[in-house]
Amino acid sequence: MTDFDALLTRSFAEAHEPADDGFSVNVGHAVARRESAAKLRNVAQAMGFAAAAAAVTYGLYGLAAGAFGQDLLAMVGIEFARAHSALSQAPSVETASRGLTHMLGAGTLTTILLTTAALAGGAVAYRATQD
Amino acid sequence: MAARGFLNLAQATEAALIVAAQGRDQAAFGELVKRRQGWARALLRRMCSSHAEADDLAQDAFIKAWDRLRDLETPAAFPGWFRRIAVTTFLMAKRRQKAVFEEIDDASPIASEESTPEAAAGAKIDLEKALGRLSDAERLCVTLNHGEGLSHAEIVEITGLPLGTVKSHVLRGTEKLRRLLEPAQ
Repeated sequence: MTDFDALLTRSFAEAHEPADDGFSVNVGHAVARRESAAKLRNVAQAMGFAAAAAAVTYGLYGLAAGAFGQDLLAMVGIEFARAHSALSQAPSVETASRGLTHMLGAGTLTTILLTTAALAGGAVAYRATQD
Repeated sequence: MAARGFLNLAQATEAALIVAAQGRDQAAFGELVKRRQGWARALLRRMCSSHAEADDLAQDAFIKAWDRLRDLETPAAFPGWFRRIAVTTFLMAKRRQKAVFEEIDDASPIASEESTPEAAAGAKIDLEKALGRLSDAERLCVTLNHGEGLSHAEIVEITGLPLGTVKSHVLRGTEKLRRLLEPAQ
């Protein structure tokens, strides 16, 4: 290290900035604002999650109660009836196929669409809170 | 706020303040800012051409530090960790400004020949003036090398610049400062 390098290093070491209370206060305020914003964001995020979870639950409930509930029971009943009719030589296959068509009909589709929309909405809300 | 109850901020060690701030204690972080602001602002003032810009970047760096404080593994690593945040903040600001690390060839001496106490008191101003005549990249590398005592390899790590470029900037920047600050022979 040359004499000048040493002089330079010393000059850097001596060149301190005096404490500025205004600077500390500004940083403190900025941090406080940031924390408040983070709390609001967390609340919005929790509410978004809750809404999305409620919508999904509702959708799944509808799906379960509609498609896999009544229709399933109906299907079971139809299958039972079909088996019974097969045994009694009276086929009624068209009844079963009608039940299946009904299961995949407008009601179920609406529920699936509702669930998908809820998931998409939840994702958008989550993304918005992250931004 | 966990550590707030038993932490006397004015007498607390820096490590204690950092641990408390990691627990989201804003008062502890405020005390940490108070203690470290002189160093941080001086570091950024040497890197920037304007004091106002340097103070803005120092504020940004402290806010980023607050956001990322949980990533800091040991309080002892705080100075190096914060320095990296400050340098990154500076580099990002330069990128946003689309600043080109231009060459400046104005190296006319600014040091006076007399070495009186008054002149010594003006050494800080002369150093700042001289740094102001360097390019952004030279100023950054010289400040980290001579001001912060970092090796070339450490500067490479912190700035992402190639080793040859760092060496060249330090060498040329130091040479320019020599011409600017040393009295005419």
